[in-house]
Amino acid sequence: MTYTLVLLRHGQSEGNAEGIFTGWRDVPLTEFGLVQARRAGELLLAAGLLPDVVHTSLRRRAITTANIALDVADRHWIPVKRSWRLNERHYGALQGKDKKQVREQYGDDVFRAWRRSYEVAPPELEAGADTDSAGDPADPHARPEPHVLSEALRDVVARALPYWTDQVVPDLRTGEVVLVVAHGNSIRAMLKHIDRIDDQAIAGLEIPNGIPLRYDLDEATLEPIVRGGSYLDPRAAAEAVGAAAFIGR
Amino acid sequence: MTYTLVLLRHGESGWNAKNLFTGWVDVPLSEKGLAEATRGGELLTAAGVTPDVVHTSLLRRAITSANLALDAADRHWIPVKRSWRLNERHYGALQGKDKKQIRDEHGDEQFMLWRRSYDVPPPAIELGSEFSQDTDPRYAGQPPVLAECLKDVLERTLPYWHSDIVPDLRAGKTVLVAAHGNSIRAIVKYLDGIDDETIAGINIPTGIPLLYELDEQTLAPVAKGGRYLDPDAAAEAIKAVANQGR
Repeated sequence: MTYTLVLLRHGQSEGNAEGIFTGWRDVPLTEFGLVQARRAGELLLAAGLLPDVVHTSLRRRAITTANIALDVADRHWIPVKRSWRLNERHYGALQGKDKKQVREQYGDDVFRAWRRSYEVAPPELEAGADTDSAGDPADPHARPEPHVLSEALRDVVARALPYWTDQVVPDLRTGEVVLVVAHGNSIRAMLKHIDRIDDQAIAGLEIPNGIPLRYDLDEATLEPIVRGGSYLDPRAAAEAVGAAAFIGR
Repeated sequence: MTYTLVLLRHGESGWNAKNLFTGWVDVPLSEKGLAEATRGGELLTAAGVTPDVVHTSLLRRAITSANLALDAADRHWIPVKRSWRLNERHYGALQGKDKKQIRDEHGDEQFMLWRRSYDVPPPAIELGSEFSQDTDPRYAGQPPVLAECLKDVLERTLPYWHSDIVPDLRAGKTVLVAAHGNSIRAIVKYLDGIDDETIAGINIPTGIPLLYELDEQTLAPVAKGGRYLDPDAAAEAIKAVANQGR
């Protein structure tokens, strides 16, 4: 027997569309992103892949994507769990900056390292500079998130994996179809673990917006039956991954 | 100190607009209902009410209303709990039927009994029929519900109130409950100590948050009836609900 995991990166956000580093900023989906979310739900339905539980980050681009996809798949009523541990990587001082401008200013190598290296974190966000991405710890109604100033993918792995182990795996082990709706880098962090991708190779892994990625996991080892899983729309996924090479250009 | 509870009836659904009995049939919001839900969130923000947790039914008109209202209030990220115990009253064999037609067929008295009496359920729905939920996976593992009167709703909603909502209130959380006309009437009947006759005259407008401050010891409302965040719109909508089926 196998367990079924579905990973879904949010639809196109305003940050994606405008070529802006977003990170923990809480931007909405674009009209196209809303369409992608609907399409994701249709793909789940067409594949007969009906989630029993959904895990999301605390960012509206993932939450809205999950809400819409599940509504279309007639699974809007399933239990929901949310955690900051599924958030996008915190992009530090780059948050809100234009990707093209950053690439031109710092050069290809630095740009690439900040975007896709495993260990290099962008410069830290100046404390208090961006109230949108870190709540006031004195506010009892603030988001339950730690004070983060910048993250490398390694940092994302370090905070996402405890959630994988403590929250996602137990749901998988009940035999439920688990949907995780998250972000490019929190999904890359999980895939690095699931597919055992090394620190260098992970730089080349891109996750397209809005296309469900299915993994069947061995029930004993939680190893993927097929490494890399399978996108529910493989052609669209391949095209989107190809286009990602031109980000910042 | 007091605890803060916000009750929100979903925005107008496609079948509210068509004047059909809905019950457990899972219809979406109308365009107007979507706008009402967003407006509900704006009212929360304007009043400085910040939900820390949301409870919804298993029906999309409540779920979508909660999603849109919370997004508008920048509280989309709070924990979510859902239960069939917050569902609308099951309208039995009336589900999917035109309200005016039922009124014409069965007469005013019977119509009002089915709609507003406390303990007269409508006729049971036929299992396997178009508007029955007996094979719906979200209710798997529980006995099928065939029809409910408001008393039945109260009896299945209150256990959830005590087991899931009260602990959140006692933790000091601002609790939002996004539900339905009759599951909210059940909660309001209990909170305000409304008797079985008087509850017939209580209508809940769609999309307008109803705020209750509850005494931290007794959980009794500080002000009976709570307070709608848009009292004028609430008063108008309540009048309109009373005219349904005419």
